[in-house]
Amino acid sequence: MLRHTALFLGYELRNTVRNPVWPLFGILQPVLYMLLFAPLLAKTTPGVPQAETLKQFTPGVMVMIALFGSLFVGFGMISEIRGGVLERLAVSPASRPAIVLGRTLRDVIVLVAQALLIAALGLLMGMRPNPPGLALMILLMALTGVFASSLSYGLALALRDENGMSQIMQLFALPLILLTGILLPMSLAPGWMRAVANFNPLYHTVEAGRALFNGDLGNGSIPLAFGLMLVLAVITLRWSVSSMRRLAG
Amino acid sequence: MIITAHGLKKTFTTRSRKGTQTVEAVRDIDLSVETGEIFGVLGPNGAGKTTTIRMLSTLITPTGGSATVAGRDLARDPRAIRERIGYVSQAGGVDELNSPRANLMLAARVNGIAKADAAGRVEETLTAFELTEFADRPARTLSGGQKRRVAIALGLVHRPPLLFLDEPTTGLDPQNRANLWDQIRLLRSAGTSVLLSTHYLDEADALCDRLAIVDHGVIVAEGTPAALKREVASDVVTLRLTPADTGRPADAPDLEEVRKLLEAQTYAREARVDGDRLLVYLDDGEHALPHLLRALAERALVIQSIALDRATLDDVFLHKTGRFLRDAA
Ligand SMILES: Nc1ncnc2c1ncn2[C@@H]1O[C@H](COP(=O)(O)OP(=O)(O)O)[C@@H](O)[C@H]1O
Ligand SMILES: [Mg+2]
Repeated sequence: MLRHTALFLGYELRNTVRNPVWPLFGILQPVLYMLLFAPLLAKTTPGVPQAETLKQFTPGVMVMIALFGSLFVGFGMISEIRGGVLERLAVSPASRPAIVLGRTLRDVIVLVAQALLIAALGLLMGMRPNPPGLALMILLMALTGVFASSLSYGLALALRDENGMSQIMQLFALPLILLTGILLPMSLAPGWMRAVANFNPLYHTVEAGRALFNGDLGNGSIPLAFGLMLVLAVITLRWSVSSMRRLAG
Repeated sequence: MIITAHGLKKTFTTRSRKGTQTVEAVRDIDLSVETGEIFGVLGPNGAGKTTTIRMLSTLITPTGGSATVAGRDLARDPRAIRERIGYVSQAGGVDELNSPRANLMLAARVNGIAKADAAGRVEETLTAFELTEFADRPARTLSGGQKRRVAIALGLVHRPPLLFLDEPTTGLDPQNRANLWDQIRLLRSAGTSVLLSTHYLDEADALCDRLAIVDHGVIVAEGTPAALKREVASDVVTLRLTPADTGRPADAPDLEEVRKLLEAQTYAREARVDGDRLLVYLDDGEHALPHLLRALAERALVIQSIALDRATLDDVFLHKTGRFLRDAA
């Protein structure tokens, strides 16, 4: 299984490196947010230096990449199902978990590369996050990425249909963004919204990210976010692997 | 025998708003494929060809029946079968974003070819399928025929003794079809056994050593193309008739009457009405034709058109199912 995972990972990575348009395109929006939205945000909070605003803002942008970069990977898998690629693999002796694991790992690696890019941009713009905090945040992002991309693969294998998939995503996307406080801290939200947000694991991820960047490493949101994401990642990964087994026998 | 199957069955259950429905895709299929032959499964769309191939290649579990594929039991040892077969689906399974070489490389490695040997093996396979020229272009830029060759190469890169091809030439132009037939024949001469499905009569006739004709999930006839045709008749006369001094084409009661008349003749095997045509099956067309003309003249029937042809597999299909394969949906 490990050997096959490495094979699939290598294949997918070479593919991405040869054709890096989509990951680059995917990072464009977050980069624009950093460049345009952060200064705007700084204006609305006079007296707070831009570097501080960025520290509040960047963790949200990172979670956004982790979520939206990875949630769409399932569309690629649907076209692989349609083109018979997965069927061909299913007839081969390929390890079933490896088919999913190789792809998920590729997604996580792309994600970490994107996160480093955003972090570098933030540093250039004057942000000074706590270094161990930044490292932990990237780890947390990778976990979020595992969760989002295996959720996406699981959905793709269950639905096998682009339309159904985009409908489900639209249903969840907006409330998730609003209740996560990705763009604006939830402290600006009315009380009921904050109460609802508590049930949104991504809200805790962003909160943990802000704490990490501020060097507040003892903050309770950090273990909470890691724990939640770990559990979610394990559940969705198992789901996508078992869906692959069902498809491939 | 590279494949023996007994009583294979597959029932699909689909759930929709109207409740659960069951489809008996394959009802009862017995097959035996000799080592080193090209065996065809011929049938119209929906006959159960793909389902049969998917069962034999371990993709789906049969609802009933048993099979031995490449020397291993299908129910007990699907993993061992996977190491010994190649499978090319109708969709092809080529990763369009990647090059034929990268596609083949991964297929070789996943099928257990060591890293050191993989590059050489891939190169050989590319050469065998005349793909070297496009080996490093993204597969989506290839033509239909080239892509098909990549798909088949993917099923063969690990040199399995048995290859499944599901409708390998569907959608190809005549030139590419003929080339692909040659390539499949080359496989046979290299000792590979091939099981392919097709709905093309000429393909089944020209390419297959033996075939099974399937309809509605059951085999209706099996044998070599020549023997199957011989069983029906060697020749077929197609007639369009007009009753004398009426000028109108013959209608159904007229045709039925003539059909009975001709079928009663000693030289005729069988006669059938197909729309406004009458088909008469004969063992020895050249010699029987004069007798047939005389019989029609006695009945004062005017012949609008007449054709004498060799019987085809479509005549076999008609004989067995009561309809032409080219009309069957
Ligand atoms: N996964 C499936 N679920 C439900 N019905 C199916 C499925 N696959 C095939 N069928 C049905 O089984 C029958 C045989 O299909 P198939 O084997 O694809 O035929 P062929 O390949 O000869 O055209 C068809 O009626 C088809 O609709
Ligand atoms: Mg089919």
